[in-house]
Amino acid sequence: MSYTDATIQLLSPEGTLVENDVTAEYLPRVTALSDEQLREFHRQMVVIRKIDLDAANLQRQGQLAMWIPSLGQEAAQVGSGFAAKPQDHIFPSYREHVVAKIRGVDPIKIIELLRGLSHGGWDPKDHNNFHLYTLVLGSQTLHATGYAMGIQFDEATATGNPDSDEAVIVYFGDGSTSQGDVSESLVFAASYQTPQVFFLQNNHWAISVPVSRQSRTPLYLRPSGFGIPGVQIDGNDVLASYAVTSDNLDKARSGKGPQFIEALTYRMGAHTTSDDPTKYRENAELDFWTRHDAIARFELFLRAKGEGDAFFAEVKQEGEDLAADIRARTIALGVPTTESIFTNVYSEPHPLMDEQYAWLTQYEASLEGGQA
Amino acid sequence: MANSDFLLPDVGEGLTEAEIVAWKVKPGDTVAMNQVLVEIETAKSLVELPSPFEGTVSALLVEEGQTVEVGTAIITVESAGAAIAEAPKPVIIDIVGDTVDSISKEEPEKAPATLVGYGVVGHANSRRRKGGVVAAAPAAASAPVVAAVRPASVPAAAASTIIAKPPIRKLAKDLGVNLGEVTATGLAGETTRDDVIRHAKQATVFKNLETPEWGAEREEIIPVKGVRKAIATAMVSSKFTAPHVSVFVDVDATRTMEFVKRLKNSPDFAGIRVSPLLIAAKALIWAVRRNPMVNSTWTDKEINVHHYVNLGIAAATPRGLVVPNIKDAHALSLKDLAQSLEQLTLTAREGRTTPADMSGGTVTITNLGSFGMDTGTPILNPGEVGILVLGTIKLKPWVVDGEVRPRMVTTLGGSFDHRVVDGDVVSKFVADVASVMEEPALLLD
Amino acid sequence: MSIENLSMAKAINNGLREALKNDEKVLLMGEDIGPLGGVFRVTEGLHAEFGGKRVLDTPLAESGIVGTAIGLAMRGYRPVCEIQFDGFIFPAFDQITTQLAKLTSRHEGSLQMPVVIRVPFGGHIGAVEHHQESPEAYFAHTPGLRVVTPSNPHDAYWMIQEAITSNDPVLFFEPKSRYWPKGDVDTSASGIPLHSSRVVREGTEVTLVGYGPMVTMLLQAAEIAAEEGTSVEVIDVRSISPIDYGPIIASVQKTGRCVVAQEAPGFVSVGSELAATITERAFYSLEAPVLRVAGYDTPFPPAKLESIYLPDADRILEAVDRALAY
Repeated sequence: MSYTDATIQLLSPEGTLVENDVTAEYLPRVTALSDEQLREFHRQMVVIRKIDLDAANLQRQGQLAMWIPSLGQEAAQVGSGFAAKPQDHIFPSYREHVVAKIRGVDPIKIIELLRGLSHGGWDPKDHNNFHLYTLVLGSQTLHATGYAMGIQFDEATATGNPDSDEAVIVYFGDGSTSQGDVSESLVFAASYQTPQVFFLQNNHWAISVPVSRQSRTPLYLRPSGFGIPGVQIDGNDVLASYAVTSDNLDKARSGKGPQFIEALTYRMGAHTTSDDPTKYRENAELDFWTRHDAIARFELFLRAKGEGDAFFAEVKQEGEDLAADIRARTIALGVPTTESIFTNVYSEPHPLMDEQYAWLTQYEASLEGGQA
Repeated sequence: MANSDFLLPDVGEGLTEAEIVAWKVKPGDTVAMNQVLVEIETAKSLVELPSPFEGTVSALLVEEGQTVEVGTAIITVESAGAAIAEAPKPVIIDIVGDTVDSISKEEPEKAPATLVGYGVVGHANSRRRKGGVVAAAPAAASAPVVAAVRPASVPAAAASTIIAKPPIRKLAKDLGVNLGEVTATGLAGETTRDDVIRHAKQATVFKNLETPEWGAEREEIIPVKGVRKAIATAMVSSKFTAPHVSVFVDVDATRTMEFVKRLKNSPDFAGIRVSPLLIAAKALIWAVRRNPMVNSTWTDKEINVHHYVNLGIAAATPRGLVVPNIKDAHALSLKDLAQSLEQLTLTAREGRTTPADMSGGTVTITNLGSFGMDTGTPILNPGEVGILVLGTIKLKPWVVDGEVRPRMVTTLGGSFDHRVVDGDVVSKFVADVASVMEEPALLLD
Repeated sequence: MSIENLSMAKAINNGLREALKNDEKVLLMGEDIGPLGGVFRVTEGLHAEFGGKRVLDTPLAESGIVGTAIGLAMRGYRPVCEIQFDGFIFPAFDQITTQLAKLTSRHEGSLQMPVVIRVPFGGHIGAVEHHQESPEAYFAHTPGLRVVTPSNPHDAYWMIQEAITSNDPVLFFEPKSRYWPKGDVDTSASGIPLHSSRVVREGTEVTLVGYGPMVTMLLQAAEIAAEEGTSVEVIDVRSISPIDYGPIIASVQKTGRCVVAQEAPGFVSVGSELAATITERAFYSLEAPVLRVAGYDTPFPPAKLESIYLPDADRILEAVDRALAY
């Protein structure tokens, strides 16, 4: 749909590598991948799709207030997720479930957020620098930029050592590019030349508003107005996603300043389970993107490389097992304590927190069936 | 084998109901986990519901076309193993359940354990019942937390000062009561309205508690002159010329007191002093109309019956008793009479009563009640045939509808010149005054 | 004891200098704070002394300033942002209220937000639109934030340092009408914790409560009242969130009457909160309702009208008279 001549694609929808002058720059990173790594790409995409579909079912069964599907965007996320190095910091929006998983966040943490048990809660330091979801659109781009500035001030980047030089990758969507904070983050990033990759997943819809309402020009062109180079990739091509992100992160961590990737992909599902895309989308569009599906083409690629039914069956089973496990654990989840309302609001002791929690405690105690 | 019900969930963040559009299964069908059971229509969209259970469909609980509330059981599935998909009830649900519980006191069934949507939240027909153990004062027992729990925990810091709410403070100010002297009997140590009133009442009895010392000499000589001499002359003349006869009656003056209160609150009487004496004065004028002989003058040769009332009011002044009268009091409205009374009293207190004010009186009231006396035996104002005495009005036991009740009771009495009037006239006159005190509406005659 | 006689601007400048010296993680960031030293010269000389990596001139984007400060705090820095004028804090309102205030609880305690946002505020300087606002209530109303304001140079010197060492986000409102008048600063000791209120003048008949630029006005009103024979106690609230009610309630229990004054419009303000809580906690001591003197509920008027709009000694004393009449 938004494909242009500039769209970088390493793997065609038929599952074959694309070789030309543009891809030549990136293919070496692909050929350097081992078979195990390639299988891992596929495994992560298939498993997260299964988890994603079952989570939507859980919502329909009353177990979650809401599920946010990442259906259709697996390649954009898996590729870029694996491109990030252990020392890099990742600032997601709220749909990057597989990146979270790759960085060690148990999917149950995302379930908890959508079941009404937390607002996130995991510690990025314990999860390979995968930061919390931000539900205010685009806000995280400024946090990421500030973080990258901190990396610079720490002189923890651009030392010439790509295995320790740090970079930041921040995810955001086409809708949020209209938010002022995103533009301001580009201003600051350019001004300070931060070690940062802006990863825009253009999934073509912001709830019911198409990307054409957000921008009259391809979004990968926007950063150049800020002095930041931008590239457009086929986001449903996991190899392009991996290679270009890896390349951009290395540029960022080597002192070349901020980079910007627009990954063309498609939100195959609804915005969230509260949404009904049949009210605003055409079937023809869904058909197009189904034909450009991320997982289908990669399976073709792997089969051509010699992977057999056994592998795909094993991966499918793994997805089903993990989904069943998450289902069982979801249903067994407890609730947060009343006390948790008042803890961690501040880092230092605060009189109102003590007073109000104490009041609530004695109020509950004074009533029949009161909860402590 | 376990039968599990699937309760209609809120599929769209706050939806409360949905219509069953089309069942995709029927009783007896085997269903797999996540198999589509039914299509529903919500306010937002058409949604397919996947099965949370594996097993066999026992029963469809709602029909196509029916609209049901979130939380309603829509299908029963018999599952092969334990009812794995039945959610244990987390506390969140219990809170919803408790709320609904207290709503439906008549319906014993608990509200369904729907996790999300909380369809029924927002209804509150009743409140959670008290009765849990009242915890000991919380650790952070600062005033605001504790003050919310009544009554034992009024801010302790205020213990050293007077605890009195603003209306009580105003009452004390109006009554001239010093809050610091009042014994507080409130549960939390506060001074109550009754405390202030009780203290104010006591104050009238315990005023002037200081007893002055006699002077040094054994005999103090005061020359007889001026007002004292005049009063003495008049009293002797009156008492030893006219044969005085007295009658007394107790009357329930509650309605007069209520009437006085209402007058005080009426805008027409704003700023005007209203007291029971005003009503007694009006009553007297009414009684005079019905018993004209009382309002006359004896001159040995003739009895001069006055067809007007110059109402004398006995007023105590620092220099002695004066009895100025309100000219043509019979023609005054209640309000004008009140104003005249007030003016007369003020003038007398200031010592500015003129001889003209004091002459020409036809009948007099003396208000011994203002000195706390129940009644008395007044001496007739020279030239008059009757003097009414109004006693103190206070709560006394009285029989109302066969039961003893506290009522505002007073004693009315009077002294009369037996040369002009006999016992029956006198009694009827005083009875008439009393009946108005009992029922001021009689003045509407 | 070591006393220096400084303007508030210089006192804050010195406080910032101490903070920059004491902790290399402290950064200043804002518009024009570098070589220019800030439009009120509060950061004068700091760029020269500490360099452009500690004192940053940022692009002109308030949301960007606060948002990147958040990212820096995530990295372990202690950023001190300057919002150039009160009226320009609103573009940053989202980052302050939806992010800065909530990140610690969103992380369930694994992340601290030691960010200070300095804001010159208040009127009485004849400025144009948006340069004389008092927006403190919006932030006091937001759980997760702390809000403080010094009324004098001594407090300014110490409170800025304490705000910086706090591990919580702090909105630091600087009364710009008090930037230039000088006062004694005891640089050896603060004498009082950051979130404390203080009795600044003792009295017996009425308690006057205020903060920031209003404190000086309250003290002037108290002087006039004293000449008229009325003894008035004045309290500087200092910390608007959380509020230290101890000295305030003790004072009202003593005097029985209270007047709260502020420049901000009165409707739904810090004064409203003070009045409600003082009434609740000192109820049995009150001889009169807690009265409030505040800016009118209109947009801040053009400067020629600000002396009518802003509470002055006369308006404060009118309220004192009313309180005493009960």
